[in-house]
Amino acid sequence: MGDLWPAAGAAQGTVSLRPPAHAVERRAIAWWMLQSLLFGGALLAVSVIGYLFWEGARSWLGFVVVAVAVLLVVDLVVEPLWRYRVHRWETSAEAVYARTGWLVREWRAAPLARVQTVDAVQGPLEQLLGLSTLRVTTASSRGAIDIGGLDRDTAVRVAEELTRIAQLTPGDAT
Amino acid sequence: MSERSEHAGRWEQLSVRMVLVDLTQSLLATLPAVVAVGLTGAGRGQIWPLIGLAAFGIIGAIADAWRWVFTRYRISPAHVELKSGVFVRRHRSIRRDRIRSVDVEARLRHRLGGLRVVKIGAGQQASDGESALELDALSAADARVLQDRLLDPRDTAIGDPVPSEVGPGRDEPLRVFARFDPRWVICNVFNAWAYLLALGLGWGGFWLLDSFGLDVSGFILGLLDWSAIGWAGTVAIVFFAVSVFGAAGLAVNYFTEYWNFELARVRGAEGTLLRTRHGLFTTREVGRDENRFRGAQISEPVLWRWMGVSDTTVITTGLSMWSMSQPAAILPRGPVAFARRVVTEVLGTEENLFEAPLARHPRAALWRRLWWATGLSAAMALPLVGLAVAGVVPVAVLWPAAVIWPVSLGAAVVAFRALGHAIRGPYLVTRSGLVSRATTVLQRTAVSTIVVRESLLQRRLGLCTVSAMTAAGYGGYDTPDIDAQDGLSFALEAAPGLLDPFVTVTGGEEPEGSAPGDPGRRRAGAAFG
Repeated sequence: MGDLWPAAGAAQGTVSLRPPAHAVERRAIAWWMLQSLLFGGALLAVSVIGYLFWEGARSWLGFVVVAVAVLLVVDLVVEPLWRYRVHRWETSAEAVYARTGWLVREWRAAPLARVQTVDAVQGPLEQLLGLSTLRVTTASSRGAIDIGGLDRDTAVRVAEELTRIAQLTPGDAT
Repeated sequence: MSERSEHAGRWEQLSVRMVLVDLTQSLLATLPAVVAVGLTGAGRGQIWPLIGLAAFGIIGAIADAWRWVFTRYRISPAHVELKSGVFVRRHRSIRRDRIRSVDVEARLRHRLGGLRVVKIGAGQQASDGESALELDALSAADARVLQDRLLDPRDTAIGDPVPSEVGPGRDEPLRVFARFDPRWVICNVFNAWAYLLALGLGWGGFWLLDSFGLDVSGFILGLLDWSAIGWAGTVAIVFFAVSVFGAAGLAVNYFTEYWNFELARVRGAEGTLLRTRHGLFTTREVGRDENRFRGAQISEPVLWRWMGVSDTTVITTGLSMWSMSQPAAILPRGPVAFARRVVTEVLGTEENLFEAPLARHPRAALWRRLWWATGLSAAMALPLVGLAVAGVVPVAVLWPAAVIWPVSLGAAVVAFRALGHAIRGPYLVTRSGLVSRATTVLQRTAVSTIVVRESLLQRRLGLCTVSAMTAAGYGGYDTPDIDAQDGLSFALEAAPGLLDPFVTVTGGEEPEGSAPGDPGRRRAGAAFG
C-alpha cells in the first residue's frame, strides 16, 4: 500500500496539494459581487423596510440592519476577492482538479474514467458577463465538480475536449 | 397466465385474483362498523370513525380493482413497459439492461390471494428521481417466472428468448450466512420508536374500546390511588408503563417482520446474489447483485453501544439508501460482533476489516469538537440568560440550559473517540459519528472523486476532512478531522493514482496562492497550498 506513493515516506519535507494550474477569469469577481449584491441587497432591503414601518421593533431591528449591512459589505468585497485567490482549476488527460471556497476551502479531483457528463452551463448573470460554469459529474451523487467563472469559449472548448477523452475510456464509470 | 408470459411483446394484465382480494377487503372493512352497530348498539357519534374506516377500505378496494382494469405490462427483449392510469394515462418503459434489482414482495392480503408484488429497480439512486416500476400484483408463479426472466442476461438479446432453467436449484442457497435468532429481540426493543409506537397503539386501542362503549379512562383512573402517589410518582409510573408497552410492541414487530429470516448467497443470472428473506405475515425477499457490492457499513447507535447493538448495510450501486424498506440492510438490528463476522464472510476479505486497528485522529480534532460544543451551548444559553435577566422567562429555565454545556462536552469526547481511519489492502476503512458510530469499509477502486476540505478553524488546528465519493451507497463517505499530512496520504491511497500528479513535496516553505486573512496558520506549509 505504501509503495503506491513512495515519495510520502521518502521525502523529509511536507506533502501538499499544489494549486491547480489555471486561475478563473477576472470577471468572476464581478460575478460573485453581483450574486452577493442580489441576495444581500434583498435581505438588507427587507430589514430596512421592517425598521422603517414596524416601530414597535426598532430597538432590536436596528441591530439586525447593522448586522446585515456588515455582512453585505463582507460578501461584496472580501468574499469575491478572497474567492478569486482560491478558485483555480486544471484538467489533464487523466483527471479534473479544482480548488474552490473561501472560509471553507475544498480540493476536488475526479478521474476522467469515472466522468459521466461534462457540460458548460450559464446562469443569467454569467450570460451577462460572458462567463460559464464547467460542470463535471460522476456516477456519485456527491462527486460532481463545478468550476465557475470560466470564459464562455474556454468552458465550451474544455467541455468538448473532456467529453472526447472520457468517451475513449472504457467501463461503465461506476 | 404463466405460459403466456413466455412470449415477448404481448401486453399482459395483472392477476385477476386481485379483484377477488379487493372484494374481500371491502367486506372486511365494513365488518367493524356492522359488528359495533349490531352487537353493542353503539351511539352514532362513536360509530363515525368505523364508518370512515369502512368507506376508506371500500374506496381503496374499488380504486384498486379499477387500476387492474387499466393496467397493462409488456416484456420485450429490450424493454419492460407499463401502461397505467385511469384519467392520466402513463406509459413508462425501462431498458432491460438498466434493471438492477427485481424484488418479489407480498403483504398479507397478497399472500392470502396467492399474489406477489414485483418491484423492478433501475438506474442509479433514488435522488435521480428514477423510481421503480411496480407490478402490483401477479400470481406467485408468474412473479417468480418474471423475476427469473428479467434477471437472466441471455433473455435480453433480440430474438427468441432462451428458456431459462427455472425450478429446482435456483432456490437452494449456495451458502447461508445468518438465520433468524430470537435472542436478537433484545437489540430491537430498546429504541426511541417504542414511545411513538406505544402512543399510537395506546391511542388506537383507547379509541377502539371507547367506540365499543368501554370506559377506558375510568378503568385506568380506578386502577391505582393516583392522588396518593403524587405528581412525580405518576409521571414515573406512566413513563415506565409506556416504555414496557412500547418495548412489547417492538418485540412483536421484530418477530413478525424477521420471522424465518435468512441471509444467503444464491445463484443469480450474472454471478451470485445476496438474498434476504423474512416475514411472518408480510414476506419480503430482496436479491442484491454481488457484482455491484463496493463495501459495507456497520453503525452502532450511541445509546446502546454498550450492548453492542448494530445495524448492517451493504454499500452497493443501484439500491436506494433513502427507501423506507431499506433494501441495503442485510441483517436485522443485532449484536455487533456477529454482524462484523457476517460482513467479513459476505465480502470475502481475509481479515475482519471492522476489527482492523484504526489510526487515531490528532488531539486537535478533540479541540475542534470541544470548541463547537462550547460555542453551540453558549449560543443556546446566552439568549436564555438575557431573557431571564430581562424577566421574560423564569430563572428556573436556566437550570436545563446549564446542563447543556457538560452534556455537549461529553458528546464531543464521544464523537472524538469514534474517529479512526485505515487503508487495508484493497479497502479503505473509516469510522466516525456521534449519534450513530458508523464504520465504513469501501473498495478503493470504487472511489470516483476525492474531496479534501479545510475550514478556517481546521486550518488553524492543522486538520482536514477527506471524503471519498462513490457511485454506491450514500454517494460519499467522510473522514473528518485527520491531521493535514495524514489526511493527504490517506486521500492519496484512497484513490490510487488520482491525486499523484497534483501533489508537491516542499521543504516547509509557504505554498504559493495561500489564501489571505489567515494569520493564525499554525503549521506553515503543513496545510496545502
